[in-house]
Amino acid sequence: MPIPEGKPIVWDLPIRLFHWSLALLVAAAAITGFLAPAWWLDVHVWAGWGIGALLVFRLVWGLVGSEHARFRHFPVSFHAIFGHAVEMIRLQGRPHPGHTPLGAAMVAVLLVVLLGLVATGAMVLGGQEKIGPLAGFLSFAAGHGGKEVHEALAVGLLVLVGLHVAGVVVESWLTRENLVRAMANGRKRAPIPRPARRGALALAGFAIAGTAGSLALLAAVPPKGIPDMPRLAAFEKECGACHGLYHPSLLPATSWEALMEDLSDHFGENASLPPAAAVAIAAHLRTYAAESWDSEAANRLRQVSAEEPLRISGSPFWRHRHRKIPDAVFAAKPVSSRANCFACHGDAAGGRFADTAIRFPKETSQ
Amino acid sequence: MKKPFAVALMTLAALPALAGSPARDTILAGLATEAKKADPSFAGFSADRGASFFGATQKGGKPDTPSCTSCHGTTPEATGTTRAGKPVEPLAVSKVPTRYTDPEKVAKWFQRNCTSVLGRECTALEKGDFITFMATR
Repeated sequence: MPIPEGKPIVWDLPIRLFHWSLALLVAAAAITGFLAPAWWLDVHVWAGWGIGALLVFRLVWGLVGSEHARFRHFPVSFHAIFGHAVEMIRLQGRPHPGHTPLGAAMVAVLLVVLLGLVATGAMVLGGQEKIGPLAGFLSFAAGHGGKEVHEALAVGLLVLVGLHVAGVVVESWLTRENLVRAMANGRKRAPIPRPARRGALALAGFAIAGTAGSLALLAAVPPKGIPDMPRLAAFEKECGACHGLYHPSLLPATSWEALMEDLSDHFGENASLPPAAAVAIAAHLRTYAAESWDSEAANRLRQVSAEEPLRISGSPFWRHRHRKIPDAVFAAKPVSSRANCFACHGDAAGGRFADTAIRFPKETSQ
Repeated sequence: MKKPFAVALMTLAALPALAGSPARDTILAGLATEAKKADPSFAGFSADRGASFFGATQKGGKPDTPSCTSCHGTTPEATGTTRAGKPVEPLAVSKVPTRYTDPEKVAKWFQRNCTSVLGRECTALEKGDFITFMATR
């Protein structure tokens, strides 16, 4: 059926919703990734999972969606792309019913780069933070490697988005057809396209649910490099009397040994213990010291400072990570000390220290 | 025989409020014996002396902890904070009735905290005055 204005809907509603949700989530991920401090990681991660779900939808829609959404109809031959580029350089406009050749190529590249970003993001989350579907399979080092790629891809994505927007503006001007509006109301000068297959949306929904379900199953695998540590009553009672329970993974064995050797001057405090308790606690700390964990904290805090090898908050990594936090935050009542990891790191007792678990107490007005 | 019986009953009823727990009394009795040994003129513990000991600024201990109040808060009823940021339950018996009823715990914390604050062990007199004061709060 011809449409009154002569402009049929070439971008179906799902593809338009996909496009603008993707733009929104990529903006959220970019802002939280490039600009926001570490404790915005959970927002970044959720934006990433959202992008992942959209990508699954798009891949399905590229197979069974309406005509111009299908990859099969993408005009991405070398001849078409080259011809389009030459036209653009000569400032010649020629309307295209669906994607322009350069536009289609951009969509393809964007999809690949976004898939790469989601995958490497999951690697960082799994390897470094020991969270998510890859936590059971990746070492800290693998997560760190993923981070390098993730960051490079993120910069690449910014460039691609810039090119994409520029291309849309130039093409709109050359063809005198507002392509931004076309992506809003779906209408373009074109023959009436073939609609999506029946059940295409349901299929996309199943694909997203299936992927999410499989990832959730993978996420249930215990994280790699995180040993089962038995609880030690003496440790919890004696050490926990004055301070939160510092996880054994936060110092190397040599530091724990030196620390347990003299408890009568324990960071300026007399913390002497009955010998039996001291021996048991020392053994526990030595066994589960930083060397036996692959968590981010253990990997980083294995390197102690030469001047203060016993002080977790004296280590180079600790100082670097907390350098932007004002003294006032540490001095504020609910924190009151640099030694009080537990005030802001909700998962400190488990030694995890995930960026997603950082919460500043209200009173610190951060 | 009626009157003395009533008096005895009243005394018994008042005991928990005044003296608290038998375990605390035992600890205080032990400290009293020790204090008497150290000074034959010892004539009982004083809550007032305990109060001024609690609030005093001491010399000879670690510079970060010059007083009981450095960690325990300015009043016995206050919740304190250790230097590592962990909350410390109030010292006042009215707030935490189990205070000063476990001899091991009492010995351990006086030993540790006295050396931190005063640079020496506390005397039996100081400990007894302190507990007596806290029992009134």
